[in-house]
Amino acid sequence: MANVRFEHLTVRYSEHTVFSDFSLEVESGQILCLVGPSGCGKTTLVRALLGLNKPETGTITVGERVLFDAKRRVNVPAEKRNIGIVFQDYAVWPHMTVIENVSYPLKKQRRNKQEIRERAMKALEQVHMTEYANHLPSQLSGGQQQRVAIARALVTDSDVVVMDEPITNLDAKLREEMLLEIRMIQKRLGATILYITHDQQSALQLCDRMAIMRQDGSLCQCGTDEDIILRPADRFVFEFIGVSNFIPLCVEGGRTYLDCGEKIPFADLPAGVDARGKEMGVRLNDVVFDRQSPIEATVTSRVFLGSEYNYFLRLGQRDIRVQQSTLDARTFGMVAAGERVGIRFLNPRFYDGKGAMA
Amino acid sequence: MRTNYSDLAAVDGRRRLNMDKVMTAVCFVLLFIIVIIPIFMIIYNAFFYEGKFDLSLFTGQMTDSKNLAAMWNTLKIALFTTVLGTIMGVFYAWLLGRSDIPMKGVMRALFNIPYMFPPFLGAMAWDILLNGRSGYLNRFLVSTLHLSGMPFNINSLGGIVFVEVSYYFPFVFMQVVSALERMDPTLEECARIAGAKQRTVIWKITLPLVKPAISAGALLILTTSLAHFGVPSILGYAQGIYTLPTRIYSVIYNTGGSFDGIRQGAALSVMLVIVVALALVLQRWVLSTGNYDIIKGKSMRPTLIKLRGAKLPLLLLAVLTLVLIVIVPLVMIVLISFIKAYGLPLKLENFTLAQYARVFNANGTLDSIKNSLFASITAGVVCMFLGTLVAYVVQKIKPRGKGILEIVSMLPYSIPGTVLSIGVILAWSGALGVTLYNTIWIILVAYMARYLSFSMKTSSAALLQVHSSLEEAARVCGASHTESLADITLPLIRPAMVSGFFLIFLPAMREVTTSILLYGPYTRTLGVQIYSLRDAGMIPQAAALATVAIGLIIALNTIVTLITKDRKGV
Repeated sequence: MANVRFEHLTVRYSEHTVFSDFSLEVESGQILCLVGPSGCGKTTLVRALLGLNKPETGTITVGERVLFDAKRRVNVPAEKRNIGIVFQDYAVWPHMTVIENVSYPLKKQRRNKQEIRERAMKALEQVHMTEYANHLPSQLSGGQQQRVAIARALVTDSDVVVMDEPITNLDAKLREEMLLEIRMIQKRLGATILYITHDQQSALQLCDRMAIMRQDGSLCQCGTDEDIILRPADRFVFEFIGVSNFIPLCVEGGRTYLDCGEKIPFADLPAGVDARGKEMGVRLNDVVFDRQSPIEATVTSRVFLGSEYNYFLRLGQRDIRVQQSTLDARTFGMVAAGERVGIRFLNPRFYDGKGAMA
Repeated sequence: MRTNYSDLAAVDGRRRLNMDKVMTAVCFVLLFIIVIIPIFMIIYNAFFYEGKFDLSLFTGQMTDSKNLAAMWNTLKIALFTTVLGTIMGVFYAWLLGRSDIPMKGVMRALFNIPYMFPPFLGAMAWDILLNGRSGYLNRFLVSTLHLSGMPFNINSLGGIVFVEVSYYFPFVFMQVVSALERMDPTLEECARIAGAKQRTVIWKITLPLVKPAISAGALLILTTSLAHFGVPSILGYAQGIYTLPTRIYSVIYNTGGSFDGIRQGAALSVMLVIVVALALVLQRWVLSTGNYDIIKGKSMRPTLIKLRGAKLPLLLLAVLTLVLIVIVPLVMIVLISFIKAYGLPLKLENFTLAQYARVFNANGTLDSIKNSLFASITAGVVCMFLGTLVAYVVQKIKPRGKGILEIVSMLPYSIPGTVLSIGVILAWSGALGVTLYNTIWIILVAYMARYLSFSMKTSSAALLQVHSSLEEAARVCGASHTESLADITLPLIRPAMVSGFFLIFLPAMREVTTSILLYGPYTRTLGVQIYSLRDAGMIPQAAALATVAIGLIIALNTIVTLITKDRKGV
């Protein structure tokens, strides 16, 4: 068991700075999900950890071991870092059988044949692939290749395993299964896992902690999943982590209005918030129907999604989306297209407006 | 970002001498020796005399009427060959790829034969048949139809074009057939559904879509024909018809290989290179190549066009074409190889095996086969590794100057073989302190320069398929850079390397253009031996050796096909 620390890391590709002065810690025995939009530098960070690129500044340590230190000119080569990796495209070697793939890291550690065989089979067992030991990757499905890649990452009992978007190529059902399996394997082995994804949904399912990266490569929030969802640090996290409605506010004559083409009076502004130039962000499931509410909208359409209903409402000249769980719909009744309904906003958040863009 | 392989190089950068840098340096040095030096020597010798800039040689050659006539001939032959070969290639590609003509499989295989058949042997066969003075078919026609003169004369520009077309049209044929097969058939179906007639669909949809393939094939015909030596030399010499490559050969040959002759050759080479370069520019201008995504890698079943009443005549035409360009020359060479003396009627009592005995008892023959085998296998093996090395450096290490590396390794491919040999002679006959002239090594060096791009291209394509994450995964799993190369990358591109070897070995075995200028008394190659036997008037013996060579080529090709078929697994 070991933690992973990135401190003041800067990576630059010729002119383009991917991230600078980046610091992050993955605590020992935890799964940290690093989430961010495509191209924000997640993969670059992983490659720095693996030793596949060379940062300009900063240090990378795993436990007590310094893998990279720009000042002290420490740079442990990739093959000596002992980190398990599952690449996004699996990188299962097509000319080797499953067992050969999984044995390879052990072979490079010059273990004896008996031990290699035993440990490779054990790793395959963990991912339920023993019966495919002598298959070639071309004979396996995407999900199975995925498991081989995971087994290969786990076989050396590395303290740290990195998974770079390992499930994006799988279908929804298999994705769910794999996430559960990764979770269980991690529990069993107690390994530290750095899990990279741009899909916050799978991150939520998997992680102990979550770190959100911005497009420019900076870290904007790192915390438990509840922290991130319930207490987003800024508008970027709020927007990135779920779908929401944004409604501009305006102040006229000391009163606050929702600016939806026509001005709708808004009385629920919390004390201490200056509404000028602000936008109000509300999650889809935080908009609730309330007959008493003075804010009224017209239902334009309703879509049934299984566990919830999805509504499109017309509020003034604006479209807003609302989600109502099926349970709520059953308990409190649903609304139909064409109906005029009162709505209330729970947990609204107020951010500086993006101007006309929103 | 992930494909940025130079990262790995940077990571290894702490050690002073790393594999990547060594490989890059080796590439630059070897390519400099093999490619740059010969090309530089040609330019230097054409424009400099005794260390001073001197245009007189070049302008002298440029204004020589014989040379201008040769240039004019080269252009005419290349132009007609390209136009006719392209038309023929497209027509048969469409016929075999898109119509319901019977016996497709057999015919496709047969249409590929001219591609592996050495054109100069074809020229030999047609010379035997239709020689303006003594051709067998000519004499037969004269005696049966009581004509006053020979009806055909293959020793003419038209004859040369005819023979070149029949061996070069497969360039277009093969490109277009595969493009037609990869084309999404729904594109044509849509046009039909929209109300277009069959003919309109062919002209407005099918042809424009395969235009890039046609254009690529035509370019290949054009450059090959411009640089071609065998056919015009066999058919043209007797009538004093010269092209630039044959003119270069005769200039050097007539001066007995003296330095002065070689310098004249160098000046002519520059002329030839200019002509080829102009042709390339012209081609690009006339047929601007567009690329369409709708041609997919996936194979689909295209709708076949029913030929109805035209089926039989078209089948007959295709079969006749095959007989004319494949069977007739082949049979002719085999028949002549059994004849007692050239000119005797083709009757059973005139047949003998003596020619074979004579050929194999002559001391040059076995040597020539040995030389060819040695030069081709060595060139194949060396180029296989060097080409892969260059491909790896260009594709994966991506050092500064990788563009130069790529261009330099492809350069000899567009330089005529004759020109290349002159460069090799100038470079390795002592001017730089190394004398390889009259040894097999000079032939080897020339082959290596000429064929390097073949193996580089195949290895490059294979390396592109090997995603860099495969090698990175090995690194992370604890393999050093060298180990990851040996365990992962090399095994994955091995099939491509093997096919790269055969791509070099097969044409090198039947090579004549380059070696005709480079051979010494003991270093004749198979092609040169056949050529000089024929040149010395020993046509039946030449035919006997040609038969052996063709047998060898067919056998090797079959083996290659069998080997490559087994390798589908990876």
